[in-house]
Amino acid sequence: MKTNTQREKLLNFGISMLALGIFPLIWFLTQAILFRELTDIVSRNVLMILGILVGSTFVFLLFFGMNKIVSYASKDSRDSLEARMFVGPTVFMIGLFLFYPAIRTIYLSFQDRYGTTFIGVENYKWSFTDPEMIVTIRNQIIWLIFVVFFVLFIGLIVGWLSDRLNKGEAFFKSIVFLPMAISAVGASAIFKFIYEYRPPPLTQIGIINGIRVSVDQDDYICANNKEIDGVYKTVGDENCLNPIGWLQQRDMSNLPFVQNLDLDNWFNSMIVNIPVNTILLMVIMIWMFTGFAAVVFSAGIKSIPNEIMEAGQIDGASEVRVFTSIVIPYIKSTIVVVGTYMVVTVLKAFDIIYVGTRGDLETNLLAVKMLDEFSKYRNIGRSATVAVLIFVCVFPILWFTIKRERDTAI
Amino acid sequence: MNRDSQKWYDKPFSKLILITIALTWIFPVFGFVLSSFRPGESIKRTTWWDAVASGEVWSELTLQNYSEIFFADGLNRSFYNSFAVTIPSTIIPITIAAFAAYAFAFMEFKGKNVLFLFVVGSMIIPLQMSLVPLLQLFKSGAEVFGVTIIPALDINGTYVATWFAHTGFGLPLATFLLRDFMMGLPKSVIESAKIDGASNFTTFFKLVLPLSVAGIAAFGTFQFLWVYNDFLVANVFLGVYNPENLVVTSHVSKLAVGAFGEAWHLRTSGAVISMIVPLIVFFSLQRFFIRGLIGGAVKG
Repeated sequence: MKTNTQREKLLNFGISMLALGIFPLIWFLTQAILFRELTDIVSRNVLMILGILVGSTFVFLLFFGMNKIVSYASKDSRDSLEARMFVGPTVFMIGLFLFYPAIRTIYLSFQDRYGTTFIGVENYKWSFTDPEMIVTIRNQIIWLIFVVFFVLFIGLIVGWLSDRLNKGEAFFKSIVFLPMAISAVGASAIFKFIYEYRPPPLTQIGIINGIRVSVDQDDYICANNKEIDGVYKTVGDENCLNPIGWLQQRDMSNLPFVQNLDLDNWFNSMIVNIPVNTILLMVIMIWMFTGFAAVVFSAGIKSIPNEIMEAGQIDGASEVRVFTSIVIPYIKSTIVVVGTYMVVTVLKAFDIIYVGTRGDLETNLLAVKMLDEFSKYRNIGRSATVAVLIFVCVFPILWFTIKRERDTAI
Repeated sequence: MNRDSQKWYDKPFSKLILITIALTWIFPVFGFVLSSFRPGESIKRTTWWDAVASGEVWSELTLQNYSEIFFADGLNRSFYNSFAVTIPSTIIPITIAAFAAYAFAFMEFKGKNVLFLFVVGSMIIPLQMSLVPLLQLFKSGAEVFGVTIIPALDINGTYVATWFAHTGFGLPLATFLLRDFMMGLPKSVIESAKIDGASNFTTFFKLVLPLSVAGIAAFGTFQFLWVYNDFLVANVFLGVYNPENLVVTSHVSKLAVGAFGEAWHLRTSGAVISMIVPLIVFFSLQRFFIRGLIGGAVKG
């Protein structure tokens, strides 16, 4: 009897190991090697079709195979084994692709550029003293403050006002939400077209410079390579304004309207230091995510009971007062959730910088810097350190979110 | 309350603000899309707003840019690559997560809470933490204390690397969302199926999966758009230098970063093509997408 249960236990242990580790591992290796080999053997078109058909469904073999194995177990233990087999692959994949790499990244952040020699906290010292890193961290803080603020602010306005419309609410929300569906790469391309600079006398096809060079100067007519009243006006005319490479302006010092300022004045010297290109890149992200905030807020606003709103109206509260005293307190938790989402998204912002300026001219952010250190400067230790910095910023925020969600769920 | 006093808020002023915001939002897209239909020479010679003002734009509209970017420049290949990356990267995590979600929702087993905490806890790990070790893992395998756990696979630069990466990054959220959804299903139905002698496997496939279509669609739409629009993972695991490995986003980024000089006719048309698929998915599945998005607020 006793040996029987022990054998049973051993068998169960063996099957659990199969389900949690060995089977997922075999699946992972088979799929990896199969498609690596296929990449070299078959033509590209066949590979794409095989990838879509077989690559997607190969994972079912894993579950059918495990189901077969589990069916050999005794009936009493089958339930718990099946549970393990259902959960196993998820746990395996998360362990291998998230936990193991995270621990390894923390380990690598204390290593040198090749990831082989322990150098203590050198990388962390570097990350707070290196001029490029200081600028990167400064930018990250600017982004966090301004992007999160404007997304929430404009999102609240659109969510609130569109909810108050008698018709056309869905239309307005869809327009503002639209950028959320397209890629950040596409959005950056759109805005680069707006910020476009071409050296004079070329036509300014970016609308900001296009308008700038067309502004008349004290009765002198300027135009963007166009005939006006029979006179052909070119860009770069010495009496007119010149176009500006907006994304190349790391501060305001090259812009004409600050050149006559007295820089000893603290206010003026602050103005001069405004990072123009960073602001223009932030606009892209605000443009992308405001619609998301608006849609979520609008759902929150709809959940406010009518009686509360009506009570506000009867008391004669103004529109602004209703907004600040009823709407905002009521959807506070929604604002916190969207704010959290935005903070995390900004901390991971990559595409906009990569496409916009490639991180040059003091526009870099942590996520781009992390990849730069790895692929451009070939320094694994520092790259890992920057990743850890992102993690350290994200960790407390998300931890609180998950904790709160769990609390409200219970 | 009469009807009039309910409309106190619907003032012209709020409408004006909304219309201003909407116009500001649509304006960048308008000039961009319009330019994608203008010949390259015209884009450089006349600004699009001047062309609209003079009416010249209507006579020059062409699809030439689209055929050039799609066939001559090879965006068609990037387009198919995007699907070969996106579809498995959506289906694999859904499949794996659905099984786990079922177990977390309906089964009792030892260590259930610990394992669920493990899954939820992994959502706080930003994917930046995983990129470099995963690259190394895919290239030269993994060793723990001198024991080879994973052999050298050398799969960077193939589709399968992106599938695995996206699966890993998407799984915690998928499991979490699907479990939440399955918890909302009527428990009595599942229990009666078990009493009738159906195995967990059968119950899962015949009962729970069909009932969870809405939840799966919510995550699926989100994951599909996320992967399709992703540039970082494609950049790291497929690279941007081999034209055979470009996906749509990396192709457009290459155009936009400036490798093509002033080829705005290609940049615009390429970016517009890249937006078509997400817009179709978005408009047809908007309901699901927003739900997935809100749930995805904490995706790693």
